[in-house]
Amino acid sequence: MTTAQPAPAPLTRPELVCPAGTPAALKSAIDAGADCVYVGFRDETNARNFPGLNFNRRELAEGIEYAHGKGAKVLVAVNTFPRAGQPEIWHRAVADCDELKADAVILADIGLIDHAARHHPNLRLHLSVQAAASNPDAIRFYADRYGIKRVVLPRVLTVQEIAEVNARIAPIETEVFVFGGLCVMAEGRCALSSYATGQSPNINGACSPASDVRYTETNEGITSELGGFTINKFAHTEPAGYPTLCKGRFIANDKASYLFEEPTSLNTLAILPDLIRAGVTAFKIEGRQRGRAYVAAVVGAFRQGVDAVLAGKSLPDIDLDRITEGGKQTTGAYEKAWR
Amino acid sequence: MRPGQVRANVKPVQPPFSPVLLLGMALKPVRPALLQPVFDGVLKMLRRRHPDILDRMADYASKPVCINPVDLPFVILLDPNPDDPRLTVRREIDPQEVAATIHGPLEVLLALAEGKVDGDALFFTRRLVIEGDTEVVVALRNAIDGAGIDLINDISAELGPLARPFRSCASAAVDLLGRIQDDIETLRTALIAPAVKDSNAQNARITQLEAELKTLRKAARRGGVA
Amino acid sequence: MTAKLTLGPVLFNWKPETLRDFYFRIADEAPVDTVHVGEVVCSKRTPFFEPYIASVVERLHAAGKEVVLSSLALIMSEREMAAARDLASDADLLVEANDISVAAITAGRPFVAGALLNVYNEGTLATLESMGAIRVCLPAELSGDAIAALATAAKSEIEIQAFGRLPLAISARCYAARARQLTKDACQYVCADDPDGMEVETLDEIPFLAVNGTQTMSSHYMDLLPDLVSLRARGVSRFRLWPQNVDMVAVSALFRAVLDGRMAVAEAEDRLAGLCPGVQFANGYVHGRAGHLFVEDDE
Repeated sequence: MTTAQPAPAPLTRPELVCPAGTPAALKSAIDAGADCVYVGFRDETNARNFPGLNFNRRELAEGIEYAHGKGAKVLVAVNTFPRAGQPEIWHRAVADCDELKADAVILADIGLIDHAARHHPNLRLHLSVQAAASNPDAIRFYADRYGIKRVVLPRVLTVQEIAEVNARIAPIETEVFVFGGLCVMAEGRCALSSYATGQSPNINGACSPASDVRYTETNEGITSELGGFTINKFAHTEPAGYPTLCKGRFIANDKASYLFEEPTSLNTLAILPDLIRAGVTAFKIEGRQRGRAYVAAVVGAFRQGVDAVLAGKSLPDIDLDRITEGGKQTTGAYEKAWR
Repeated sequence: MRPGQVRANVKPVQPPFSPVLLLGMALKPVRPALLQPVFDGVLKMLRRRHPDILDRMADYASKPVCINPVDLPFVILLDPNPDDPRLTVRREIDPQEVAATIHGPLEVLLALAEGKVDGDALFFTRRLVIEGDTEVVVALRNAIDGAGIDLINDISAELGPLARPFRSCASAAVDLLGRIQDDIETLRTALIAPAVKDSNAQNARITQLEAELKTLRKAARRGGVA
Repeated sequence: MTAKLTLGPVLFNWKPETLRDFYFRIADEAPVDTVHVGEVVCSKRTPFFEPYIASVVERLHAAGKEVVLSSLALIMSEREMAAARDLASDADLLVEANDISVAAITAGRPFVAGALLNVYNEGTLATLESMGAIRVCLPAELSGDAIAALATAAKSEIEIQAFGRLPLAISARCYAARARQLTKDACQYVCADDPDGMEVETLDEIPFLAVNGTQTMSSHYMDLLPDLVSLRARGVSRFRLWPQNVDMVAVSALFRAVLDGRMAVAEAEDRLAGLCPGVQFANGYVHGRAGHLFVEDDE
C-alpha cells in the first residue's frame, strides 16, 4: 500500500555569518559568499581582543560600505562586560555602530543592553553567545525587556534541544555556531583564563591571551605554558595546539588526558540538514583571530554546503582537516553523547 | 638560557628540500649587506602601500622580531617602531636582541605574508615555529594578514613604468619555480628512496617487537612468570 | 553595622545523610547569618536530597539563620526549568538566581542574584535591583576596585566570595564522568567519589584545578581573611564561605572572629591552614591579579 507522504515544510535559507578580524578578511568572507560578517573594534569591547586584530572606526565604515555594496550585512560584537565605573568605551562603541549604520550589535552584558535599548532604539540588538542564554525563559527575558531580535545560542544544546527552543521562542531568531574553535564551558561563564593569567574573556576580551603564552622547545618536543602553568607537551611528531586552557592535557586520578576537550574544531558540515530543519536562522563560523586563508576556505565550504542542502542535493565532501586545531573535528554538544 | 629562546645551534624547523634551499646554498658566500637594498625597498613599499601594518603593530613598537627563513643563510630583523621602522638582513641574530623569532621555510613565510595560508594551521602542523614573546608574533601575523599583501601587485605598483616587464618576469619566474619544484620533488624522492626503504623495514621490525613484548607482558600478568 | 557571613550552597555531591548532618551542625554551631540550600551544579543530583530539605530548613530557621534556596546554574531543559519555577514559587523563602531565567521568573519579588550571574558593572546591578534583587553575590574574578565601585553604586547588599574553591566554569559536559570514560547520561554519579572535588594537576604535577561534575573549580581555596577588613571598609556587606570538606564551623568562626576584631589575621591564617591540611590559598582576584595567586599585601 502506498500513501502520499506529506510534503516536507519548505526549508528556510539560513544566513551565513562569517568572522572578520581585519578589513582584508571581511572582503575575503564576502567574496567567498558570506551573507553577514561580524567584526569588533580594536579594544577590549569585544571577545576577540587579540594583538593586531580588529577594526578602527574608519575601517569599520569602509567595511560596512563594501558589505552593503555587495548586499551583505555587518554585525559588530560589543560583547564583553563593561568595567565598573568605566563604561564609556562600551557606550561609545555602541553609539558608533548606530552612527555607522551597522546592521546589528551583538551584546552580552545586561547593563549594556539596557543602555543600548534606551539610547539607540533603532539599532538592531543580537544577544551574544557570551550571555549564555540557554533556555527559552532566559531568551524571552532579553526579548521582552529589550527587544533583542536574535540570540546566539551557547554551545551546550543538542540539535534536538535547539529545535525545541526555536519552537518556543518564535519569532525570536537563533544563530548557532557551525564551525571553528569550541568553548567546552558555557560561554561567558568561564573564569579559567583569568584564574591562570588575570586576563578574562568577559573583562579583557581574551581567553588564554598570547601575552601569557610561552612555548619551550625541549629535546622531547614543545611545552606550552599559560600563566606559568604547563598546559600541554607535544612530541616532535605530534600536531601542536594553542594553549587554550580547556584544550590542555592534565592529570586527574593519576592519569594524564585531555580532561576537558582535545585540541579540536567544531565542524557541522555533516549535520547541516539537521540544523536547518531545527529552524535556525543563522549559521555562525568562529574565527575572527584566524587569517584570510581560513576565512575563505571555511566560508566557501559552508556556502556550498548550505546551498546544496537547500537545492535538495547531497552534501559536498569538503576536507577542512588542514585548518582545524590538532587536525581534529567534532560536532561538539550538538550530539548528546558529547556530554 | 631563558625559556622560549633559540638555542644557538638548533634548527626548530628542518628546511624542506626545495629550490629555495638550493638558492640558499648558492647565496651562502654573499654578504647580507649586499641584499640590504632589496629589504630597504620592501620596507619602503610596505610603508607606502600598507601603512596599516605598522598601525596595528603600534603597541609593540619596542619589540623587534626575527624572521628566520630556515632554507636561506640569513635572517631578517623587523623593528616595528612606527617612527623609525627597520627591516635589516643579517647573517645571524642573538636571541637576546629580539622579542621573538619566527622560523619557517621561505615559501611558507611568503604565503603567510600574502594571506594564502592559515598561520594557526601552519603552527598546529609545525611547519612554522615561533619562540619568545607570543603576543608580538600574533600581532605581526594579524597585522600582515590584515594588510592584504599581494607581492607581485605591490612591487609592480612601486615600479611605475617598469611594472609590466616586472609582472611578466615575475609570473614566468613563479611558473618556472613551480616546474623546478616538481623536478626537485622527483630528485628528492630518488635521493631518499634507499633511506625510506631502510626506515620502513625498521618500522616493521619495531612493530613486530612491540607485539611480542605485549604478548610477553600479558603472559607475565596472567601467569606470574613469562 | 558589622558584615554578615553567608554559607554558600554545597556545590559537591555529598551523600544525602552527610549533607543533612552537615546542615544540622551548621544550624547548631556555625556563626553564620545566612545558609544556602539547593543543588547548583547538576540536576541529576537533585532528587536525592529533596526528602531532607524541609527538616534542614526547619532546623536552620529554628537556629535563627536566614535560609536561601539556590537555583541551578545552567538550565538547559524544560524539566530543569520546571524545577526552577517550582523553586521560585516558594513564597516563604528567598531564592538565589544562578541563571538569568530564574531572576526573570521571580518577577518583582525579592531575590538574591547569585555568584554565577554576570554582574560586572553598575548598569547590570541596577537592572537586577529593579527586578527585585536585594542582595548580589559578585563574580569571583572582580578586582577590589570593581567591587568597591559596585558597592558604592548598590542599593542592595553586596556579597563577595571569601572562602573555598572558586566555581570557575560550568559546562554541559561532565568531566567527572569523562575522566572515568563515562558519559553524563550514564554517569553512575561518580562525582560523589570526590566530596571536595577531583584534583586536576598540570603535566608537571602542579595542583591547578578541581572538577566537580560539570563544574570546574580552582584547586586553591579562596582565602580573604587578610582582606576582610579593607573590603568591609570599601562597602562589602557580606562574605560568602563555600562549603568544603573541612570543619566549616571552625572556618566560619575564624572569619567571624577576624571581622569582629577578636582575632589577628596572622593567627586566623595559621589556624585556617591547620583546618585545611595540604590546601593552597589564593586571593589574587581582589588584588587585580591572576586568581590563583596569593598576594600578601598591596605594594
